Amino acid sequence: MADLFTGAALFILTVTALGLFKVLRSEIAVERMMAVQLLGTGGAAAVLLLGAATSSPAMTDVALLLMLLAAVSCAAFTSGQSSHTADASEQAEDEA
Amino acid sequence: MTSLANAFTLVAVGCGALLFLAGTLGLLRFPDTLSRLHALSKADNLGLGLIVLGLLPQAESFAGGLKLVCVWLLAQISAATASQLIAGVLYRRKSRP
Amino acid sequence: MTTEIGGTPLLARLTRGLGFLALWLILMGPALTDLPIGLIAAAAATWTSTALWPENGKLSASGLVRFLIRFVPQSAVAGVDVARRAFAPRPALSPGFVTYRTSLPPGMARSASCAVMSLQPGKLPVAADADGTLHIHCLDLREPVAEQIAADEAAFCDTLQSGGVHG
Repeated sequence: MADLFTGAALFILTVTALGLFKVLRSEIAVERMMAVQLLGTGGAAAVLLLGAATSSPAMTDVALLLMLLAAVSCAAFTSGQSSHTADASEQAEDEA
Repeated sequence: MTSLANAFTLVAVGCGALLFLAGTLGLLRFPDTLSRLHALSKADNLGLGLIVLGLLPQAESFAGGLKLVCVWLLAQISAATASQLIAGVLYRRKSRP
Repeated sequence: MTTEIGGTPLLARLTRGLGFLALWLILMGPALTDLPIGLIAAAAATWTSTALWPENGKLSASGLVRFLIRFVPQSAVAGVDVARRAFAPRPALSPGFVTYRTSLPPGMARSASCAVMSLQPGKLPVAADADGTLHIHCLDLREPVAEQIAADEAAFCDTLQSGGVHG
């Protein structure tokens, strides 16, 4: 069972890395923010599986942290963006 | 009983891994950013949910299982909110002349 | 500080605090030495939640159960739907925007309904105008999106004890 869990975790990590590669190469800042979200969900799943494989319950905490960090950084990015659009001039917005 | 639980775990974890693959395929193949966001928020979330469901029978204690469920709940809430926020930023940028 | 959030009855606040403390205990484990930190965290969470959801936001329990019975399978369908489209030889998509006039008041209730909608099959609300017009991005415009949204919103209103605000 443990080997299967490790295998599944590696599979998910690979797939997440593929998605990350695509999203991070994008020109659009929003797509790069999606990378954080992807890493949060995929990373949490992989860490949960690894925790089950090595039967170390502390891994659940790591998964929880990964996910919540992703959520918080998304919120920070958005609030940064909206204050930016509120003060900045049109030109600054166009080049961004 | 244990073999039944193990079979359930295998099926659920396998389906979860497949959904992560689907999410990445969606990211690679869908034509525009907002559609890619659909793929990211919906498929990956269900994937995480299925993996949590699959790991539940393997949990060492009731408290451990309860914690897993809480992780999944928080994941749902944060993914829904985050995809909303990202979509909002994208829309405000696009609608600007 | 108490005057600002004085609208919420003490009992409701206490119930919320106990709920947050229970969540903390589940996540961190019931060690007695950690309990003071848990109490502080629960108090902070309660204070934040009263600031975010100030109207005595009571939920009807039976409505909530009906809503969950509807929502959890729908959310699974949403994931499978995206997966089906992603695995298709040619992605079967006709993405586009739909506008929908919501009857929910602006604020927490509307944001919550939007967040729930973003986990429903093929829909992602992206913006809300001041008059309650939602702009929703859909994966497939060939589906009866407006009817689905109306049904979802009706189910969501069931969970609010006031029966939602129709108007």
